[in-house]
Amino acid sequence: MKTPARTLTPTAPKKKRSKLARREELQGYLFISPWLIGLFGITLFPMLFSLYGSFTNYDVTSRMDFIGVGNYMRMFTEDPLFWKSLYNTLYYVAFMVPLTTIGSILLALMLNERIVGMRFFRTIYYLPAVLSGVGVYFLWIQLLNPSTGLINTMLGWVGIPGPAWLSDPMWTKPAIILMKMWSVGGGMLLYLASLQGVPSQLYESAKLDGASAFRRFFHITLPMISPVIFFDVVTSFIGGFQIFQEGYVMTDSGSGGPMGSLLFYNLYMWNQAFQLFDMGYAMAMAWVLFVIVLILTLINLRMSKRWVYYEGGED
Amino acid sequence: MRARPIWHAAWLTMLSCMLLLTACTPESRSSSGAPTTGTSGDGAAQEKVTIDFWTFWGSETRRPIIEKIIEDFNSSQDRIVVKHTYLPFGDIWTKNLASIAAGTPADVIVNDYADVNLRASKNQNTNLTAYLQQDDIESRFYPELWNNVLYNDEAYALPFNTDTRLLYYNKEAFREAGLDPEQPPQTWAELEEYAQQLDKKAGDTYERVGFYPLWGDFGVDSWLINGDAGNGYFGENDETTIDTPGKVATLEWLKSWQDRLGRQTVDAIKADFGSGVSDPFISGKVAMYIQTGTYNTQIEEFGQDLDIGVAPIPEREEGSGHWSSGGGFVVEIPKGAKHPDEAWEFIKYLTDVDAQKYWAMENFDNVSNIEAAEDPEANKNEVYKASVENLVNTKVFQVPLSASGYKDLINPHMDAVFLDKETPQQALQQAQKDVQSLMNKNK
Amino acid sequence: MKKRSARDTLIFMLLSAGSLLFLLPLWWMIATSLKSPQEIAQYPPTFIPNTFHFENYIHTWQAAPFTLYAFNTLMLAAFAVAGSVLVNSFIAYGFARIAFRGKKFWFSVLLATMMIPGFVTLIPQYVLFSKLHLVGTYYPLIIPQFLGSAFYIFMLRQFYLSIPRELSEAAKIDGANHLYIWARIVIPLSKPALAAIAVFAFNGAWNDFLGPLLYVNDEVLYTLQIGLQSFRGSVQTQWNYLMAGSVIVLLPVIVLFFLFQKYFIEGMNLTAGTKG
Repeated sequence: MKTPARTLTPTAPKKKRSKLARREELQGYLFISPWLIGLFGITLFPMLFSLYGSFTNYDVTSRMDFIGVGNYMRMFTEDPLFWKSLYNTLYYVAFMVPLTTIGSILLALMLNERIVGMRFFRTIYYLPAVLSGVGVYFLWIQLLNPSTGLINTMLGWVGIPGPAWLSDPMWTKPAIILMKMWSVGGGMLLYLASLQGVPSQLYESAKLDGASAFRRFFHITLPMISPVIFFDVVTSFIGGFQIFQEGYVMTDSGSGGPMGSLLFYNLYMWNQAFQLFDMGYAMAMAWVLFVIVLILTLINLRMSKRWVYYEGGED
Repeated sequence: MRARPIWHAAWLTMLSCMLLLTACTPESRSSSGAPTTGTSGDGAAQEKVTIDFWTFWGSETRRPIIEKIIEDFNSSQDRIVVKHTYLPFGDIWTKNLASIAAGTPADVIVNDYADVNLRASKNQNTNLTAYLQQDDIESRFYPELWNNVLYNDEAYALPFNTDTRLLYYNKEAFREAGLDPEQPPQTWAELEEYAQQLDKKAGDTYERVGFYPLWGDFGVDSWLINGDAGNGYFGENDETTIDTPGKVATLEWLKSWQDRLGRQTVDAIKADFGSGVSDPFISGKVAMYIQTGTYNTQIEEFGQDLDIGVAPIPEREEGSGHWSSGGGFVVEIPKGAKHPDEAWEFIKYLTDVDAQKYWAMENFDNVSNIEAAEDPEANKNEVYKASVENLVNTKVFQVPLSASGYKDLINPHMDAVFLDKETPQQALQQAQKDVQSLMNKNK
Repeated sequence: MKKRSARDTLIFMLLSAGSLLFLLPLWWMIATSLKSPQEIAQYPPTFIPNTFHFENYIHTWQAAPFTLYAFNTLMLAAFAVAGSVLVNSFIAYGFARIAFRGKKFWFSVLLATMMIPGFVTLIPQYVLFSKLHLVGTYYPLIIPQFLGSAFYIFMLRQFYLSIPRELSEAAKIDGANHLYIWARIVIPLSKPALAAIAVFAFNGAWNDFLGPLLYVNDEVLYTLQIGLQSFRGSVQTQWNYLMAGSVIVLLPVIVLFFLFQKYFIEGMNLTAGTKG
């Protein structure tokens, strides 16, 4: 990907370097110190506790005996529901991440125009991101009604017989992805904010050079917002793997939907932890998920060097 | 800098909040907290004990009822003060677990029948044997409910309320279809016959469906009990009784309803009502519907001019039994509660005649105390009376500990039947195999 | 000129059509909130209420101490906004613009903390706060807001990395320290991102349900979202009141977003920024 050229020379005069570097070091830690306090004060203990717990038969209230890799063995060798929930979640993430990313960028581009009523449009499109709770899910149950719902009615206009979205195990996950597409407002907001950082001079000089709108988008806009795209993709992966609420509400309090097709990883983990009190097992599941997400994030990071452009330079 | 005013505002808000917070928190903490000395009137400088009672009864209908009972208890003696805290349904138990783990649980909590034994095995609730030796109150309760609070033959909770499912039918629709509104269906065969007469079609779509067994509050699990002579998934000695001829026949019968109406019709109507907002029976879309006894209060509130009757669930064939299924809630003392003795006094009161009778009268909810449940005053209400009479046919099952989580294994097979992916025979066979292997693993 | 307006019209039409779909749930909520219980039970559901019961709103507000709950929630949200905006941008600056040893390591740890599902840390976290004698107060909800959130730090770091370096280099050579550069150059330049965080943080605290529920013991300290749940019984839900309550709770969010918008569209205007 071509990027606007800029020279980056963050070097100070040589003789001062060591003293400066020490001061830099100190200031660096000063700046991140609130987070470090939080990490050591609040976050780290529960995390390490759950890591240890994953090697025990911890049930919260009566026991916590070390059982080695027992939980992990059980998960990989004798628990078909673990694999099913992992499959369901991977399916969801594989479609949701690219679709919502592209969707929110397109929406942000449209909402970045200066036309009549834009303030209202922005508010409206952001709404689904803040509308939480049962009302929304019940609305979707109506919209997805196989015979009278709006979605299938619209599909009918173009001659496509719509599926039984929420009762056919083939279609339950697409239905949830569709729902998620509708609440891209949060991502849209991010991109909208990042679009403001693209210096208008860049567009102007490109226009003078006769670059088409298409070219301008791919050679200026996209590279300039790529740090935020990277952020969005990474956090969507992390959030996607933790999908819970949709599976819980849409399926009769966590039953997992038709033939377990909406038994997502976190839903199954929740049932293990809070219904069956098998917290050790749930903790092991959490750490397996951790490793999966970590690997994906590392791949992302590695690839990001090829497509993410940092105007300020990433030292 | 243009940005400044925002930051000023932010800091100001924060500072004022800090002040407010420091001003508010300790005050409200003391009002909630520790034992307060009772000095009012009685003269004795006895320490009053405040106990925490957590319920999910926060609605405008339920809250005044439980708070009246608490008030009565508080004024019936001068040693214990009960403080009621509402916590939303479902989440109340997440908090319960966390607070037991932290050693700061409530003194009394309302919990589910289904897992009393599981919680007992996990050391989450208090063994009541010692208290029961002093006050033997076991005989107050329906034996079916009492069995559900036992773990290794010792009680870990007291039954509070329960429910049972009845067949509601629309008398107006009966008349319209030429059926006798005083003769509800007694057997499955009659149910089917009536249902077909009550169906009303306009072209391809149903204006009214006579009956569909799986709408309402009686799922596959409940039908399998009804059709298998009142037997659940597990026998007396925790053996699996999933793949039985009675259950195969029942599942086949349930499937035949879907085949007759068409899966598309069933899915569509289920989607219409799946959200639980509009009600198919109250709006006249369905003529017969299975629901709990308290459903009647909804009919009275939302469908004033509906002329309804209730009947026990039809039996598979004459003499096989009008089996219904039930559930409900218990009161228990979380492990680590600060005042278990006082908590016991309170749960004893909660399950005694006065409190139970008040609960039944105000809610038309089934209660666990036999004397209160059968009180003639409450039984003036016909639906309530029918629900009390139905309790003899009602099954409430305890799940063997080794089978915890079995539903995740059974449900997919049941779904597969209705999606034409497995025959009832295969589904039950496979479900039994899956559950059996889970139980073997856990033993 | 002509071409421009044709394009604008097209976008306007697209956005209008789309917004109908996006407004549906809001309409459904409002319609339900104005219906009588009898009408709610009817099938098929009416799109426009037969009779408008505006008194549902008054009834809703009085059904529980909602004024108190609103005050409590607002206070928590104010802390969340103040904490998130200030502290996260401070921390993110350190990760984005200062070179120090171990930065890569700490940043990896930061990312890692996001990857562990909260369910399994819920109990140990609760026990930890309980041992600190903070359960029963707002502190477990407020303190973390001032210690940074991985999500916001990561987000702001991405924004800060795209601010051209020469903007701060000049100031640095003039002897300005990082505190100065952060406060005077980076913060003004990142207003759109900070506005986004303010909105996210407000929504997060405003809609948080499990947090207050777990950590607060006295109903006097309850929040709006907990109050709303009282309309959902174990047997029966009062849909009209639940929806009326949800609409009331949603209003401040909409108003806030509407007002904050100008910060999203305010360009950074980089050249002017340095003169700040």
